Amino acid sequence: MTALLEVRGISVSFDGFRAINNLSFEIGECELRAIIGPNGAGKTTFMDIVTGKTRPNEGQVLWGEGSKSLLKMNESQIARAGIGRKFQRPTVFEDQTVSENLTMALSAARGPFSVLRWRPSADSVARVAELAEEVGLADQLARKAGELSHGQKQWLEIGMLLAQDPRLLLVDEPAAGMTLAEREQTTTLLRRLSERHAVVVVEHDMDFVRRLDCKVTVLHEGSVLAEGSLDHVTANPEVIEVYLGRG
Amino acid sequence: MRLFLLALAFVALALPFVAHAQSPELGAVIAAHRAEIEKPSRGSVGPVVEAIAATGPQGAALLQAWADRMLALRKSDGLLVITSPEDGNLKLTDAATGTDLGTAPEGEVTLLRPNSGVRGVISAALAGNALSDPDPKRRGEALDSLSRRADASQLALLREAMEDPDPALAARKQRLERLLTIQYDTDPKARIAAIESFGGDTGLDFRASLNPLLATRRGAMEEIPADANPARELAVGSDIPRDEAYALLVSEGLAPARLTPEAMRQTLAQHILDGKVGGVPLAQLHEQSARDRAYTALEAVGTVQPAASEAEVDAALDRYKFVDLYAEPKAEVTTAARAALRGTESRIGMMQAADLSLDALSLASIYFLAAIGLAVTFGVMGVINMAHGEFIMMGAYTGYVVQQFIADRTISLIVALPLAFIVTFAAGVALERLVIRHLYKRPLETLLATFGVSIALQQLAKNIFGTQARPLTSPAWLDGALTFNDVVSISYIRIAIFVLALVFLGLYLFIMNRTRLGLEVRAVTQNPAMAASMGISPDRINMLTFGLGSGIAGIAGVAIGLFAKVTSELGSDYIVQSFMTVVVGGVGNIWGTLAGAALIGFLQKGIEWFNPANTLAAQTYMILFIIIFIQFRPRGIIAAKGRAVGA
Amino acid sequence: MRKPLVLRHPSILVFLGVLAVFTVAVTVLSAGYGTGAISTSMVKTLGKTLCLALAAVAMDLVWGYAGILSLGQMAFFALGGYMIGMWLMVARTEGIVTGTLANLPIPPTDAEISAAVATQIFGVVGSDKFPLIWAFSGSLWGQLALVVLVPGLLALVFGWLAFRSRVNGVYLSILTQAMTLALALYLFQNDSGLRGNNGLSGLQNIPGLDAVGQEKLSVWFLWASALALGLGYLLIAWVASGKFGSVTRAIRDDEARVRFLGYSVESYKLVVFVLAAVVTAIAGALYYPQAGIINPAELAPIASIYLAVWVAIGGRGRLYGAAIGAVFVSLLSSWFTGGRAPDLNLGFYIVKWVDWWQVMLGLSFVLVTLFAPKGLSGLVDLFEGLRPPRRRGAALGPDMGALREKEAVE
Repeated sequence: MTALLEVRGISVSFDGFRAINNLSFEIGECELRAIIGPNGAGKTTFMDIVTGKTRPNEGQVLWGEGSKSLLKMNESQIARAGIGRKFQRPTVFEDQTVSENLTMALSAARGPFSVLRWRPSADSVARVAELAEEVGLADQLARKAGELSHGQKQWLEIGMLLAQDPRLLLVDEPAAGMTLAEREQTTTLLRRLSERHAVVVVEHDMDFVRRLDCKVTVLHEGSVLAEGSLDHVTANPEVIEVYLGRG
Repeated sequence: MRLFLLALAFVALALPFVAHAQSPELGAVIAAHRAEIEKPSRGSVGPVVEAIAATGPQGAALLQAWADRMLALRKSDGLLVITSPEDGNLKLTDAATGTDLGTAPEGEVTLLRPNSGVRGVISAALAGNALSDPDPKRRGEALDSLSRRADASQLALLREAMEDPDPALAARKQRLERLLTIQYDTDPKARIAAIESFGGDTGLDFRASLNPLLATRRGAMEEIPADANPARELAVGSDIPRDEAYALLVSEGLAPARLTPEAMRQTLAQHILDGKVGGVPLAQLHEQSARDRAYTALEAVGTVQPAASEAEVDAALDRYKFVDLYAEPKAEVTTAARAALRGTESRIGMMQAADLSLDALSLASIYFLAAIGLAVTFGVMGVINMAHGEFIMMGAYTGYVVQQFIADRTISLIVALPLAFIVTFAAGVALERLVIRHLYKRPLETLLATFGVSIALQQLAKNIFGTQARPLTSPAWLDGALTFNDVVSISYIRIAIFVLALVFLGLYLFIMNRTRLGLEVRAVTQNPAMAASMGISPDRINMLTFGLGSGIAGIAGVAIGLFAKVTSELGSDYIVQSFMTVVVGGVGNIWGTLAGAALIGFLQKGIEWFNPANTLAAQTYMILFIIIFIQFRPRGIIAAKGRAVGA
Repeated sequence: MRKPLVLRHPSILVFLGVLAVFTVAVTVLSAGYGTGAISTSMVKTLGKTLCLALAAVAMDLVWGYAGILSLGQMAFFALGGYMIGMWLMVARTEGIVTGTLANLPIPPTDAEISAAVATQIFGVVGSDKFPLIWAFSGSLWGQLALVVLVPGLLALVFGWLAFRSRVNGVYLSILTQAMTLALALYLFQNDSGLRGNNGLSGLQNIPGLDAVGQEKLSVWFLWASALALGLGYLLIAWVASGKFGSVTRAIRDDEARVRFLGYSVESYKLVVFVLAAVVTAIAGALYYPQAGIINPAELAPIASIYLAVWVAIGGRGRLYGAAIGAVFVSLLSSWFTGGRAPDLNLGFYIVKWVDWWQVMLGLSFVLVTLFAPKGLSGLVDLFEGLRPPRRRGAALGPDMGALREKEAVE
């Protein structure tokens, strides 16, 4: 299997603190993967590196068929290359309507001049409606995103990710702050997404990860501690040590 | 003649006391030489002058008056008198005895007007005399006047009077002798030795004596004469512009003048005939080619002088060499002088760099003082206070007001410093409570709101104190400057400001690292939520921090007011530089502010050094540099950690 | 399938309507074309005010929409004025010089005319030659192109440098201010090539139109200014609406998030910054022929801050708010500082408005920032009966220029 994203031996340190330590990681096309680990294991930093927010001190991040290095690209170029990211805190544009938020995320030319000439077409309107339907916001299209509930904002953000139509989705703690029913829905959505996209979910809620039923990577102190099915990794004494030994 | 003068000087030098001891009667000497005094001639006046000089101080006074054309004969009795102008009349003194004879109108006396040759003899005698005068003060004065109006004859005089009991005067004589040697000695070897003896000396007098040696005259000639001392030969086009070279030929009468467009137009205008010039209709003469045609036509009939054509100009330029010639004919002397001047200049360059560094240091201190308050508020609260400059102004005006009530400058300064702190501290606290607190985490709005405060305060100051500058006088002990030599010096005020900046640096470090307040401030800076949960009130800390920053601005205002005029615009003159200091240095760290102030201070002085005539350009380039600098270190020299970074 | 821009945003139509009515009314009351109830100098003031309104609208695009508090807009404004002023000055001086030289027996050559013009213009700074930057000053079209090109290029280079290194927030504001100051200081030099602190003068005399007279000329300029304001308003409203506007506002509220959507934030900011600079420069090019004189003091940082003040008082994030703010505050300012406002006698103190207007402006600006972040155009919401927002005015994004909820009612 050729990997969609391959991370080779990256390390990064902030003021002497090694947040990521010689981390290697691979994910294939249309794969669902959960990354778990205690606080400070480097989960978010890992995402920052892949999306270009943080530059590693060493190592390589390779992307796609041509194994292009992502390290030379900036955030927006990486996003255009097909990596979408959902933040832990819902970040939508609260001053704008749901429909504007989705339209902005819709995959289309991103250059300022083509955006300036961009006009809504029947297709784009239909696509926005379809996305809204998918994330359960069909009747909220004209509302300002700032007026939505916390859960709805999470959904809107997922909808925006879908609109971007990325090949790889990085999802940071999607279940945080959600009700039980919403979690259920989220799980279903993520699994459905993984049929057409590669999805990496960062989470430390074990129940949620169990429901995803996918390969799990355990991070600890900036490097991979274990990898495999959830049952496999939870049986690993080191993992138990890390999780329980601290509790 | 010179030999004689030498002899005279020698006598005067060797026998001063003897001369005084003998003390020939001045009146008798005058009587003996009456005719020569009235009608002196350069060739024969020597012994007379010698005799008068030998009589002592009164004789010297007579000689001085004679040289100054103030010696006269009283018409009524033919008495020789020294005159001095007084209220339109002349005050008369008996030349022989020094007795006061009252005043008389100018018509009652006949002024003696010796020619310049005679006066030269007299003043040389006077100088030689004075150089050996027993009174060191008079010898010093004589040296002064000698160094002001030196000429060849005095070199000899000086050499005769070299010995001096006073070591300082002896050294001066030595130095003057060498300087005069450089300029007037006839032996090139002696001159070169004198030049080299100075070896990198930076004295103005040394440079002044070298400069005439190196003065050049630009000339054009077919061949450089063998006895000339050329500085350099100029290539037409690169060293000297073509037009200038030809103009030189014209001015030396070596080539005919070229026709300027202006001259051509005037010539053409003189030859208008029936609306035509040289057969060309006037209407066409707005074209240069038509004018050329018309002029050529006039040349052809001989009505005007032929002008030099381009080819002729080229030929003339080829024929002549253009040379800068030294006025000094001896090449080895000019070479030595040039080498010495180069050495001197590099020494001076180094000293200027030192002087500039001192200037830069004091400028950096000022920027540091002005910016430290800004840095504190920006670093701790993430707030840019546009009214910071007005707090500086407020401090300066506080100092001014205090001086209105307390006359003693020293005491008023001692009162003004803490008072300025209190006033601006209060103003800062008020601003924080009334405005900034409500715009928390809205830096752009804060920036604009404090700007509103700034224009209000500025106008308020104008309304209260008027638009003219108010003086804030420094105490007398701060007047003057610490002078190291001709080049390096620094005024005491600037030293005081430097010390003040150091004090504040120390005070800041003490407050931040050694007091409870500093601990709380650091806690709030790093994590306000956590600090609040530990029982530290961020509101109180913000208020105190803002007050502290403003208070320091007030003190900076007093310091700045001491050397700058206090006006309502005082603050805005410093605000942009203060911002730059903070931005360049990086926020939230006193060392960053210090580094920023140092960088900006030294940069500004450095740019001024390269382009001293144009301080405006210096500021432009400095700002451009900072804009570029921000490209590479967007967070400043020392990047902060803490609240301000999150943005 | 989409309604035209003006119908989607009725405020545009209202604005253009008010502008048209205003222009017609002033024309009818002017000395040149109507009753003369409005003096020529007042017509000029109104025309200049329209130019300031256009600059304010451009400022609003930069600040209210893109969140860049640029304190350097007036640099572009003045540059526009300088560019057109160069042609005006050369063309007019040429006319005068040609007239003088025509009396000489020999008609002057072009070179002589040019030299005489140069002496006339640069005599004050001790020069008699045209500096290189005046290369196109003989051509109206050349200088008109420079009106757009010079400020546009400056904005492009400066913006590219600043946005590329991700300088934003307060830092960016200070940097734009520094740019303005640097330019002003440069122009103050005599060898800057633009006559140092003398600036360019006599710009109110339009070459070839001496016969028209200032009464009519002032109205022509009012028309031109109104047209420019109308077109500029339409252009900026068009840019600020639709997807581009949406992205721009998103950048203002959360720049990092927009990057992760795949938009190159820097190029959007650059487009907005350059566009605003060009529009501002055009406003300046119309302003200074009405003002008659331009000098480096026009570039003082404070002028740009005033522009921000107008936009804030008018209400940022809304184009008509910016225009209202500029018109309202600048007219009020000239009324108070022109000595026409009656003194206020408080019994113990007589308030002279010439002295106290600045104080009042500064304080009212603080009050507006504190209590009415929507500015004057917040009154429009009252009129329309819009509800106040429900959350307590938190910022809508993490960025320093982000809109707050209490401002974001549209």
